[in-house]
Amino acid sequence: MSKIAYIKPDSVGDAIEILADKGSSAAIIAGGTDVMVDLRSGEITPEYLVDISRLEELKGIRMENDELVIGAGVTLSEIYNSDLLAEYAPALKKSAYNFASAQIRNIATIGGNVAHCSPCGDTIPPLVIHEAEVLLSGKDGQKRIPIEQVATGPYRSFLEPHELITAFVLKPRKAAFADFKKIGRRKDLAISRLSMAVMIDKSDDGTISFMRFSLGACTPTPHRMIPVEEFMVGKKPTEKLLFEGGRLLAESMIEITGRRPSIIYKEPAVQGLFVRMLHPVVN
Amino acid sequence: MDKESVRIEFTVNNKEVALDIPADATALHVLREMLSLTGTKEGCGIGECGACTIVVDGKAVNSCLMLGAQLDGRMVTTVEGLATESGLHPLQEKFMEGHAVQCGFCTPGLLMSSHALLEEKENPTRAEIEKAIAGNICRCTGYQQVITSIETAVSERLDGENR
Repeated sequence: MSKIAYIKPDSVGDAIEILADKGSSAAIIAGGTDVMVDLRSGEITPEYLVDISRLEELKGIRMENDELVIGAGVTLSEIYNSDLLAEYAPALKKSAYNFASAQIRNIATIGGNVAHCSPCGDTIPPLVIHEAEVLLSGKDGQKRIPIEQVATGPYRSFLEPHELITAFVLKPRKAAFADFKKIGRRKDLAISRLSMAVMIDKSDDGTISFMRFSLGACTPTPHRMIPVEEFMVGKKPTEKLLFEGGRLLAESMIEITGRRPSIIYKEPAVQGLFVRMLHPVVN
Repeated sequence: MDKESVRIEFTVNNKEVALDIPADATALHVLREMLSLTGTKEGCGIGECGACTIVVDGKAVNSCLMLGAQLDGRMVTTVEGLATESGLHPLQEKFMEGHAVQCGFCTPGLLMSSHALLEEKENPTRAEIEKAIAGNICRCTGYQQVITSIETAVSERLDGENR
């Protein structure tokens, strides 16, 4: 007989009490698509599985006081099918399109994608460009932290064992151009080697008036690339400008990662993906 | 309070079942080893190959990535639930006719992914079919016969409705 116990809390409050009591001997199951793999391989050996997959409090995508709120238990399929996200966070919707497979999108949750702290979590760069804040519930109450603070390193989380992500709060924006792109070994079911999300608005004179850009997968944690944004804003997007922006992006990435062996591939790939993604905004 | 065994009740292929399962058993284990529904296969066991695909509440999922306990209260269809007494499911017929099966190991998963698609969409495009089965890996057929067989099942269903 297994030595693992299964607990299904009835509410977020109930879940927090259980997590506070069991500490790091508990593993949280939402979609389970990462936890089940780690359980099978022996990567994790919890004594308790706390199943939060049916908590209604964690569901739903809604607009609240001009903020876009996405429940942590929302699945990738729900993200892809959301009209609200198509309008106010299209890059996030696009990241759900090539996320793993249909079978995984149907159960994997955005909360789990973020909490797992994989450098290649595909939902994170789109959350970063919407300057998302993460709503946490814990035994000391609720708090809101910026999305970029959740991961302290690859697979290392800032969260305490008694804390649970309950929702993400995004700044909604109907940008003129928004996109998410990734490079993996194949089109579907591919772990991202490089990923990026962007939003751009232009002024009447054709110059870039607003830009948010985030890089994922190729740095230990996803990063908003403010120097790249500052370089591009106020300029007319030409092919030359995109190549220069891509060069700056590659340099900024190397500043974070150092010159690792894979840089021979990643340096031109980051620049190339940047140029390809932004090409539709060239005047 | 804490139990290492969990009582679950759910519907599988229109039959209600109730059983006690180990807390860490996967849905795949429950179906194959405890309910003897061995049509569902274990390929990779980590959600990459799709051989273990089942339909839960109308959605295709990898049963290797689901806890058995999470089946509680759900409506589950496995490949054994496709055929009826009057014969094979149209998808199964078309897979046979269209040579969409070689070794057959991936077939139950491919059937369940395409079944979920056809329940959701009346007339999916070839691109939508490709997308729906992207999580099912087949090392024999090269996929084209599979996609064409699903297309044939779709068009014959539409013809049947318009007749």
